[in-house]
This record gives sequence, structure tokens and C-alpha cells, in this order.
Amino acid sequence: MLDFLRSSAVRVALALGLATIVATTGVFALVYLQIRAADEKSNRVILEDEAAKSVNHTVEQLRSAFEVRLTHDLRRLDYAALFDADRKVMFGNIDAFPPIPLDGKSHFIAAFRVPGSENRTQPAIFVARPRPDGSIMLLGRSLLETFAFRRTVLTALATGLAPMLLLTLAIGAFFARRASRRLTAIHDTIARIMKGDMQLRLPVRAKPDAIDTISRDVNLMLDEIMRLLVQIKGVSDNIAHDLRSPLAVVHAQLERGLESTDNEELRAAARQALAHIDRAMLTVAALLRLADVEYDPKSNKFETIDLSAICTDLYEFYEPLAVSKSITMTLEVQSPVQIKGDGDLMREAVSNLIGNAIKFTPESGTVRVSVTQEEGRPVIRVSDNGIGVEPAERDKIFQRFYRSASGHRVPGSGLGLSIAAAIANLHDLDLRFEDNHPGARFEMTGRRKG
Amino acid sequence: MTKATSTILLVEDEKELADEIRRELERLGHRVRIVSVAEAADAARVGDAAMLIMDRMVYGEDTLKTLALLRAEGVKVPVLLISALASIDERVRGLKAGGDDYLTKPFAMAELTARVEAMLRRLDDVRTTKLRVGDLEMDLIEHTVHRGGTRIELLPREFKLLEYFLRHPGQVITRAMLLEDVWQYHFSLETNVVDVHISNLRKKIDPRDAPKSLIVNIRGAGFMLSADA
Repeated sequence: MLDFLRSSAVRVALALGLATIVATTGVFALVYLQIRAADEKSNRVILEDEAAKSVNHTVEQLRSAFEVRLTHDLRRLDYAALFDADRKVMFGNIDAFPPIPLDGKSHFIAAFRVPGSENRTQPAIFVARPRPDGSIMLLGRSLLETFAFRRTVLTALATGLAPMLLLTLAIGAFFARRASRRLTAIHDTIARIMKGDMQLRLPVRAKPDAIDTISRDVNLMLDEIMRLLVQIKGVSDNIAHDLRSPLAVVHAQLERGLESTDNEELRAAARQALAHIDRAMLTVAALLRLADVEYDPKSNKFETIDLSAICTDLYEFYEPLAVSKSITMTLEVQSPVQIKGDGDLMREAVSNLIGNAIKFTPESGTVRVSVTQEEGRPVIRVSDNGIGVEPAERDKIFQRFYRSASGHRVPGSGLGLSIAAAIANLHDLDLRFEDNHPGARFEMTGRRKG
Repeated sequence: MTKATSTILLVEDEKELADEIRRELERLGHRVRIVSVAEAADAARVGDAAMLIMDRMVYGEDTLKTLALLRAEGVKVPVLLISALASIDERVRGLKAGGDDYLTKPFAMAELTARVEAMLRRLDDVRTTKLRVGDLEMDLIEHTVHRGGTRIELLPREFKLLEYFLRHPGQVITRAMLLEDVWQYHFSLETNVVDVHISNLRKKIDPRDAPKSLIVNIRGAGFMLSADA
């Protein structure tokens, strides 16, 4: 979930939602303010207009006019009164003069005490105008209804805003999720490609969008990398191929030379040269073996094989070597653990792992071999408490020719783990390195189907 | 064995390698002729070959077809296949077509000569029930081993290992041959496990005061059960 929130697509969706909300709220506020201003203006105009019209009436005319207005014309006036010069009420329905100037303009009073009541107040506007006879005419309008109307408008707008907000968020989340699901798929695919599944390509839909375009470019790049890889491998395989006969010939000639001379100096040189050629031949043979395993996979005849039996056999084969190094070797098998595969190849892969473990474990160490079935998947573990692998070297150990700097003096082709990984791959098994605290643990695990 | 059939026929188109193989085998006292596939087939048909050493691919031609044809005709000559292809599939195909042994390039000459010697002197008498070298005796029925009248207890794998040596007395046995024939492991090792097994076996079969072991190391090649012990 955190990853989901952190994804860029989600951030874009949230920003979009926020922008929509701000824009909508702005428009709504504008509408509200316009309505409010228009309403207020009309109220004021009515009141001022009324005051201007009736300022020159006689007192008697006013009295009857007030009566009519207050009883029959509730729409326009709520309050009307005539005060004398001392601001004492002469008649009308207001008992106290509000604190407003006598300028014929409307003034707002937030809490006007309703006459005849103890403390009921309401918002209202008033206009006061002096008359020629010195008395003051006061007209007023309650804003109670206006305010109620405003509230209604406000409520209506707010009610509209909430579903709009939710809808925006939902749409945003939908698109974000879709985008993030596609990105996750791309990420997973790339991770698998980086693990060596070079045949995989990123998904591209029939109607390509921006992501598809980039995916297609990445796919083209992968094709090119693949082509170069095959080319480089071809070159190295060809070199190995062409080296075989010369190496065998030189080996034979040196052996012959060794036999035909009594010169100790020459013999020593020949022996050293032979040792080096033996190593070169080992490497060339391993390289060709690797090429064979990698190139010609499915031609191997797969049958049901028992990993427990294979590992038990190898355990018995290697145990004397471990004993000779005072290494304790243990075996734990769940029998049988069956897979479809090539027994000879699997023996070779596990042999490389066990041989390595013994090679890199010092005297009186421990090497453990186990074969189990976990969650329906076969798992072979070969662990030791030897020198292990430096964190910086961990992604390199499966590379061709890589040998740990600390283990460099131990002879070997440097291809054993590459061959084991290629064989594991052929059997839909993943070969992984794990830290054994201390030492190394190699795990060959069946891949999840699909 | 007549003189004519003591010739080893070699089918190999890489001339230098062929010359080296010939020279090495001649040094060991064999007669070798470098021939074409057709010549080899003809000689084999008339029984004019002790054995054939054939490259899997000669001048772009698959020699397995010729071999399969020979076997179909009932020609029983031992055949050692040499191949550039290291996959297990290829080895199985080669052996199915009628090859008796299979060697992948590059190989040490000692590996080739050891296999040639083993093939030429193969004891095909399966009725043998007792194997004996010097004062060491193995009973294949009873599954027992005695040396100078003393019973020696061996683990099943040690028994098989010793049996292999007893079946090839006085012959060079390479580590690869032991891996393939005793353990059925068809891959090369980067450890000296085989040597450890041999040394364990020696401890069991050699008397404490023995001046030298029954199984000796052959430098650069492997081991040998010395018949004169």
C-alpha cells in the first residue's frame, strides 16, 4: 500500500484531484458571492428608494402609509417608525433608534433586537432620513430570510462538492492503479530479465500509448543486447572450439618431449608447461560444456528423476573428501523429491555446488546438503560455514570466469557456478546465493508455475 | 590375434592431432593407420582392424551413420569416438549408434591411450566369478575380498572400484574413466575426490608394512593396479 501511495502515477492522480477540487470550490464561491451581492443590493435599493419616496409625506400620510406597509406589504418593509428630533419614537414598530447616521443610505446591523421581545435579535438593514419638520423617518428590513436563502445556496453548493470530490478521487485512483499495475508488470519483467531470462520482453498493447512506446524501445534494446550477447558468446565459443586441437597437440608434444630427454631442466619446464596446459584444457572444456548446456536445452531428454537419490549419491561420493579435510558433512533428504529433468546434468550441477562448498570451507568446518519439498516445490540447499562470499561479489559469482578474490588460489575454471546456474535454469530451478552467517548457502528452488 | 588385426585405424581430419595420436600409440607399441571413413569401414568389414578411433565429424561428414551401418551389418570391432560436442545428449547418441567409448576434445593423450588400452584388452568374459592379482582375490559371487588369506571388508562402492582395477590389471586407468565407469558421472571435476577414494581403498587393501601400494599413481595420467605386486 505504501508503495502504491509512493508511485508517481498516484501522486499525479492526487494532484489532479486536488486541482479539480480547488477549481470547483473557486467557481462555487464565485457563484455564491455573486448571488449574495445581488440579493443585498436589491434589498438596499428597495429600502433607500422607499425612504426617498416617503420623506416628504405629511405625518398623517406617513402614519397611514406605515400601517398599510407593515400590515399588507410585508415583502418590502419590516420596520417603519417616525422619531422626533430628540429621537423619541412618535409612532411605528421600533422603540429605540439604532446607531446609524441620518444620510438616507442603508446600514447593516448584525443583531437588531426585535421590538417587543426580551433578547431575540436578527440581522437587519436600516435607512434613516431627516424630514423637513425635524423629525426622523426610520425604515428597516429584516435579513432573516435573506440569510436563510444564503445558507440554502451554500448548503446546495457544498452538497454538490462532496460527490464531485469523491468522484474525482475515484477516477484518479482508478487511473493511478491501472498505470501502477502496468508499471509493476514492467518492473517485474525487467527484474526477471536481469536475472537471466533474456527471452522475456515487456508487454506492448495493440494501441500503444506513451508507456507502450517506451516498452517497445526497451524491447528493441533487449533484442540488440541479445544479438550482441550471442555474438560475443559465439566468438568465445569459437575460440574455445579452435583451441581444443592445438591444446591437445601441444600437450602430447610436451609429453613426448618429457619422455625423450634426460635434461632435468628441460623436463621441469615441460612439466610446468603441462600443468598450465591442463588448466587451459579444463577451462576450454568447461566453456564448451557451458555453451552446450545453454544452447541446446530442450533436446535433452527429460524424465522423472529423484533429487534425493542424486544428492545422497553425491553425498557418499564427496564425504571421503570432506573427511580428509576434517570437514563434517551432513545430509538431510526427504525422499523422494521428484522433478522432470536430466539426471546426469543435475548430478553435475549439485556436484559443482558440493565441490565448491568443500573447496571453500576450512578444516573442521561443516558442509550441509539438504533436499526438501517446500510448498510443493523442490529445494536443494548446499551450505557451509566457510569463507562465504563478500557482499560486493555476490552478484558476480554466477558470471563466467568469476572467482572470489579470496579464493583465487584454489584452482578451478571459474565456470562451475555458471554451469550449475545454466543447468538449474534448464530445469526451471532458480539457483540463488544466501548468506549463511558465516559461510555460503546455495539454494536451488523450483520456480513457481506461471 | 593375427598380425593383420593388430592395427588401430584412426579417422581424424585434423592432421596434426592425428599425427600426435598415431605417434603416441606407436610409442606404446601399436600399429596405427590414418584412414578415411570409407577405408575404415571396409577394413572393419573384413576384420582388418583391432579397433577404430573415429572423430564424430570428419570433413563435415557424420561418422555415426557409417558406424550405425557397420553395427547393423554385425561388425563387432571396438570403436572409440572422439567428439567436439560435450553435451550428454551427444555422448548418448554416439554410444547408441554403436560406439564403445566416447571422448570429448580437448583430451590429454594419456586419457586417449588409457582408453585404447582398456578397449583392446577388455575382458568380456562375464562368466568370470573370481578376479585375482598377486595375492589379492575377489569373489564376485560371494562379494568378498581376500588378500593373502585375510578377509578385507569393503564398502559397496569400494568393492566396485577395486573390481574395476582388477578387471584392468597393468593398465593405466584415468580419473575420468573411474568417474564414468564406477560412479557413472559424466562430467569433469575440479576436486581430487577420486584420489581420496583411491587412497582410502589403498589403506584397506595394502598391508601396513607394504613397501608400495598395489595401486600406483601414474603421473599425468591416473592409476594402475600393478600386476607384479
